[in-house]
Amino acid sequence: MEKILLEIKNLKVRAERQEILKGVNLKIKKGEFHVLLGPNGSGKTVLAQTILGNPKYKVRQGKIIFEKKNITKLSPEKRAKLGMALAWQNPPKIKGVKLSQLLDKISKRKIELEELKSLLEKEINVNLSGGEKKLSELLQVLSLNPKFVIFDEIDSGLDIKRIEKVAEIIKKEFIKNKVSVLLITHRGEILNFLKPDFVEVMVDGKIICKSQNFKEVLKTIKKYGYEKCRKCIQKI
Amino acid sequence: MDMRNVENAFKKFNFWQRDHKVLQILKEKGIEIFPSPKAWEKFDFVKIFFEKKPKEGYFIWVKRKVDFPLLTCITISREKISQNLRNLLIVEKGIKVKAKVLCAAEKENLKANHIAKGKIVLKAGAFLEYFHIHKWGKRDAVNPDYEFILEKNAKLIYNYQNLLPPENLLVRTIFHLKENSSANVNFVVSGTDSNIKIQDTLILEGKNSQGILKIRALGKKNSKILGQSMILAKAPSKGHLDCQGLLVDDHSKISLIPILFCENKKAQLTHEASIGKISEEELTYLRMRGLSEKEAIDLICSGFLKT
Repeated sequence: MEKILLEIKNLKVRAERQEILKGVNLKIKKGEFHVLLGPNGSGKTVLAQTILGNPKYKVRQGKIIFEKKNITKLSPEKRAKLGMALAWQNPPKIKGVKLSQLLDKISKRKIELEELKSLLEKEINVNLSGGEKKLSELLQVLSLNPKFVIFDEIDSGLDIKRIEKVAEIIKKEFIKNKVSVLLITHRGEILNFLKPDFVEVMVDGKIICKSQNFKEVLKTIKKYGYEKCRKCIQKI
Repeated sequence: MDMRNVENAFKKFNFWQRDHKVLQILKEKGIEIFPSPKAWEKFDFVKIFFEKKPKEGYFIWVKRKVDFPLLTCITISREKISQNLRNLLIVEKGIKVKAKVLCAAEKENLKANHIAKGKIVLKAGAFLEYFHIHKWGKRDAVNPDYEFILEKNAKLIYNYQNLLPPENLLVRTIFHLKENSSANVNFVVSGTDSNIKIQDTLILEGKNSQGILKIRALGKKNSKILGQSMILAKAPSKGHLDCQGLLVDDHSKISLIPILFCENKKAQLTHEASIGKISEEELTYLRMRGLSEKEAIDLICSGFLKT
């Protein structure tokens, strides 16, 4: 049996005096591919940012364990050094800094993807289209050569061709190489091109549903909305 | 600064003065280069540009097109030395030239004074791309005071950057723009335990002259930076001021004062100014990529100075 790479136990998180995560539990084994679905404002991005150590989000209770080590209080850079990476949903602009400059500092592997080359001489997330921002995130995460990666809404704002391209890169570079993946998606269109091992559903700061049958979960959500998922609570 | 590196790097300089002594003049075809006291004696017209016979500094007269950048260097190497330079650069009509001007301390704690008064004259249709680079010791006091005269159709790109700031820096610069001339001026100053004043004035004197004045000020470690930038329009012309500051620590202060002064109803002057701190979101983003907090701050600051 594969070892557990990431375990989140009863995680409660606050930001700006508001409780956003209300007791999240999640286990991801080495090489597993999980998808996290959920409506807007359910806490998906806060969970991703908290896993990577964003100091804006205060852990009030619970633990984040990575490779058996409690990393709940570790700095973001130390988590990155352990092999964790996050592709941001809305990455900030770093004016005056070219993507190639950042990659020179952080790269652990050389990436040779023709479609990503044009981004290198552009400033990080400055005057980039939605699609270019996603590709820039993908390139940075790839170059970190992580053991575990979270893609936060990597498919949002992309047309269907771009979604297929991004899915192809995720499959080839991460899933086939046994990198553990947590893919956060709101609409789930990317799942037309990827087959996760598990799908989890988050509503109101809690993961309320877990299933291996992602097609059934997606079908239910599309037909009845996320409220229907509350009934899946017994599956966790 | 390692002295052997200094000697090697400086071999290419057209003019190199260390302390009060001229160490090197590399003459090129079509360019007259002299220490300014010699130029005073040799050329009568030079007397128009200096109040009295200068004691030190350079005179450079570009009379023909050159394909290489003109390199000058003034360094200080001895403790408590006080330089008082008078420099003059003239670019003849229609000539295009690049100049790289380095002023630097060869050691860190010399407590020296560097005063430089200079005039740069771009004759009609001349084009000058001028890089003014400062690298000082932590205890030096530095005061460059330059006047640029752009005659009809002349074009100037001026980039000032202090790579290593002194304890006290006062940079005064004035630009006179005649008809159809244009200037793109960029001051990049970063303070580390420094007291910095930038006073720059761009005067749009001629019809259709155009000028952009930019300041990027970075305040670190108890620095005080004051940037006073003014554009004065006397003719139908266009000018834009852009002053941005970034405060890196809680003990630094930045004041940016953009001034637009218009004396002609057909002139168009605009400005933008802002002072901010490093965004926590940007910092976290870079830390999640594996950079330490310090590395992330340094990268954000270096980017800010390039905008």
